[in-house]
Amino acid sequence: MLKMTHLQKVYRTHLIETHALRDFSIHVRDGEFVAVTGPSGSGKTTFLNIAGLLEEFTGGEYWLDGVDVRGLDDNARSKLRNEKIGFIFQSFNLIPDLNLFDNVDVPLRYRGFNAAERKRRIDEALTRVGLASRMKHYPSELSGGQQQRVAIARALAGSPRLLMADEPTGNLDSLMARGVMELLEEVNRQGTTIVMVTHDPELAARAQRNVHVIDGQVTDFDEAPKLRDPDAASRGAEAVAANG
Amino acid sequence: MEIRPILSALMRSKVSMILIGLQVALTLAIVCNALFIIGQRLERMDRPSGINESDTFWFGSNGFAPGYEATSVQKADLALLRGMPGVVDAAPTNSLPLSNGGWGEGIGLQPNQKTSTAQTTIYLVDDHGVATLGTQLVAGRNFKPEEVQDITFGDNLRPRVVIVSKALAERLFPGEDAVGRTIYVNEDNATTIIGVVERLQQPWVDSDSIEFATLVPAFMPYGNATRYAVRTEPGRRDEVMKAVEQKLGETNTGRIIGRMRSMEQIRADAYSGDRAMAIILGTVIFALLAITALGIVGMASFWVAQRTRQIGTRRALGATKGDILRYFQTENFIITTLGLVAGAVLAYAFSLWLMQQYQAPRLPWYYVPIGFVCLWLLGQLAVLGPALRASRVPPAVATRSV
Amino acid sequence: MFSYYLQLGLRSLRRNPILTALMVLGIALGIAASMTTLTVMHLMGSDPIPWKSDKLHYVQLDNWSADSPYYDDGRPPDQITYRDAVALVEAGKADRQAAMYKLSLPIQPQNPEVKPFQSLGRVTHSDFFAMFEPPFAHGAPWDRRQDGEHARVIVLGKALNEKLFGGQDSVGRSVRMGGNDYTVVGVLGDWKLRSKYYDLTNGAFNDPDEFFMPFTTAIDLKQRASGNNSCFRSSGDGWDAYLDSDCIWIQMWVQLDSNERLAEYKGFLDSYVNEQKKLGRFERPLNNRLLNVTEWMDDQRVVSRDVEVQTGLAFAFLIVCLVNTIGLLLAKFTRKSGEVGLRRALGASRRDVFSQFLVESGVVGLTGGVVGLALTGLGLVAVRALYPEFRSVAQLDWTMIAVTVALAIVSAVLAGLYPTWRACRVQPAAQLKM
Repeated sequence: MLKMTHLQKVYRTHLIETHALRDFSIHVRDGEFVAVTGPSGSGKTTFLNIAGLLEEFTGGEYWLDGVDVRGLDDNARSKLRNEKIGFIFQSFNLIPDLNLFDNVDVPLRYRGFNAAERKRRIDEALTRVGLASRMKHYPSELSGGQQQRVAIARALAGSPRLLMADEPTGNLDSLMARGVMELLEEVNRQGTTIVMVTHDPELAARAQRNVHVIDGQVTDFDEAPKLRDPDAASRGAEAVAANG
Repeated sequence: MEIRPILSALMRSKVSMILIGLQVALTLAIVCNALFIIGQRLERMDRPSGINESDTFWFGSNGFAPGYEATSVQKADLALLRGMPGVVDAAPTNSLPLSNGGWGEGIGLQPNQKTSTAQTTIYLVDDHGVATLGTQLVAGRNFKPEEVQDITFGDNLRPRVVIVSKALAERLFPGEDAVGRTIYVNEDNATTIIGVVERLQQPWVDSDSIEFATLVPAFMPYGNATRYAVRTEPGRRDEVMKAVEQKLGETNTGRIIGRMRSMEQIRADAYSGDRAMAIILGTVIFALLAITALGIVGMASFWVAQRTRQIGTRRALGATKGDILRYFQTENFIITTLGLVAGAVLAYAFSLWLMQQYQAPRLPWYYVPIGFVCLWLLGQLAVLGPALRASRVPPAVATRSV
Repeated sequence: MFSYYLQLGLRSLRRNPILTALMVLGIALGIAASMTTLTVMHLMGSDPIPWKSDKLHYVQLDNWSADSPYYDDGRPPDQITYRDAVALVEAGKADRQAAMYKLSLPIQPQNPEVKPFQSLGRVTHSDFFAMFEPPFAHGAPWDRRQDGEHARVIVLGKALNEKLFGGQDSVGRSVRMGGNDYTVVGVLGDWKLRSKYYDLTNGAFNDPDEFFMPFTTAIDLKQRASGNNSCFRSSGDGWDAYLDSDCIWIQMWVQLDSNERLAEYKGFLDSYVNEQKKLGRFERPLNNRLLNVTEWMDDQRVVSRDVEVQTGLAFAFLIVCLVNTIGLLLAKFTRKSGEVGLRRALGASRRDVFSQFLVESGVVGLTGGVVGLALTGLGLVAVRALYPEFRSVAQLDWTMIAVTVALAIVSAVLAGLYPTWRACRVQPAAQLKM
């Protein structure tokens, strides 16, 4: 699904070079739920930006779902992002001027679906997160947990193969956080690969596999999925088997 | 493009939208009406006077010495002028088109008619008048030297023959040949039209009957004052003006040679108010468009700055740079269009007010659509900079914590 | 506290120089356009003689043809005949009365170095000077007795006296005009007339009169008017027939010191016209008018339509500029909502925030006003270039300077009210959650 080998990201200013990622390699297989952890400044967010095609990298290779991402122009990257990846941000990033329906609609518009198709997908996605009844509401009328569920619905509406989550519960209290986590696990069970960046070890523990990043390098990862959720584990294992 | 979501986003920042829309509306209303006024003025200024303007000049002579004989001086002056090198022809005339001072008179088709058929101006010239003015005789004949009357100042005008402008002939005898017909100038004085000239305007640019002019063959100094029109060979006007001023000053010291004015100068003076109005309104239009464009740039920049994160999110969700650019351009198009619709109403209301207050003509319908196109273009151009800046917002902005 | 807000405002304006420049430029342009046109309109239309403009009345009689009115809307003619002017002056029923007309005469200076030249002046009665109060530098006006004697006397304007006598006291000297000699009895000082309001028929903004000569004297010498002359029927041959005709070429003013006198004089005019009707004149219905100075200026449209339209457009332009400023201030203040939240959290009251932002708007207005004043100066230079005849009215005076700056500040503060109100509504904590 996602394979980075010897990836490098260097930020240059006129005086210094900062290596945000150095020789970064990771392989996420179809259907996995991977948590990327690490202290702040370790390069987690850079990884997320590059993995989500939000930023370019300076060296190494990155294959996303069988596509070599190197050298793709901005429009191709936008298209790839739109079709393959769903994003969930720490601060939700819902557009305050649009109601829930229109918020979920945003990526579908860029995908170019017709109106009926979009409506079907929006209904489905909002139903899935349990907010179908509030589609005419605006984000400011919802609680944080509900907003994040809308963001998840937005991420899911385009049926992406990969869900990128950046501290998805960082702005939520523990009750709401649990709800959101359960929703993500549910999504994963239904086949969507999830890469979640977090610094919360408790949250990370719920993923099948943890990748630890320090100073721009992967230092530690469990190759095998944890066997905590028998269902997920078995599917994860099948996926591994299928892949390689 | 996604018009409905843009619209609903706009509805949530109504004030900014109303401000830009209002600005666009007022701009449209003012620009349409101001352009219309400018157009009218330019049209007015473009009317031909009917005479040769490039090579003609006009001046006066005013005698003060005891025993000054205006009539004989005039005849000597004319002989001298006509003999000067570079002069094509010269004629005495009390007034000229565009000169803003002259003789107005009513013309009737019956003696002692109660209300006149047409208001004309009277140009007192001799047999060289038509040639000097350079207006074209289109029917009949010119005056003969023996037809030129000597009239004492203060006596009434009783012309026997006249030449009229084509417009006047058409008013007096619609669809008929005016040559040889009798008209009544000055109550019961019968006079015969012997010729018709193509075009000859009255001296007053504001006159309702500006095209109605009559040439009368007469020498009639105003007291000791006489005036001459002189036509020169092409390109020699300024040189001849200097020579004439000097020569006439030398021949008779008992008089003042008045300021020499070229027809071009006279035209510029006649329409200086219209010219000034056109320039002032043009400046207002320019400043208005500039301010409106700057306002759009300012507001759009602000919106872009305010929505950086939102733009990043859209980019993260798959929007291309082109999508972002189009978003802001569509947004501007919507606001401008709403403003323009309001502005169209305002433009016609403004025009109506001008009609009532100043008897101005109605604003022709096509000014508003032209204004629409101009302001659409202006809006799109103004928003281009901020929209390009928006399209360059990196998608990674979305993952940055607040 | 005000100076603190002032400092904050200045600092804030320096922080976004481009946005600030846009706002200042917007206000300045709007102010300059409206003040330029307003100055012209104000000076054109302002009362030229405020202390007695309601006492001076312009006499209009309707001697025009029964078949067609002078003006299509039925207003009486703007001048009167010689015979009516003389009859009214001789009747002497007003507190003061003066008939007048415009006259152009060649002047032959005694100084052989000055070439003869044409001069434009005014023929009138001695009461003119008491009525319109031109200042005298030397000598005095002629008197009613000299009117009666048809005296060959003259009052010189400042410019003509400068030209003929180098500005010296020329009282008692002789001037040769149109072949006749006149004795100077008075020389005017600097008569600052914005418009020649006593003769609107022949151009309110034409050059000032260079000399004044007794009415009776000029008529004696058969001096024809250089101004407008209108006849609805032929006057007949010769000077005497002309004087006796219904041609109109004379302006007539009367001074009436109270409303009772005005009513009396109206009655007198009506009875005069009714007398004349018996002689077969005045074929139209009674249509006498006695407009005072400001009414007469309105009637004759001293403030031209063009100037009115320009002023209207300039103010519409100012409104656009203000809308523009509101938008930009809104943008600026909204961007500062974080600062507002912080200030509020640190103890600023809503009122404090309100004052701070209003002062900032005021600073924009003041700057815009100063720049606008400079632009107004430029605008008036342009008006003088475009309309040479308006040079007397395209001048900034202290009142207008004060009005300009005040208008700019008031406009900016008004424009700032809504954005300021919005800024005040920011909740103290709302912006601090990060």
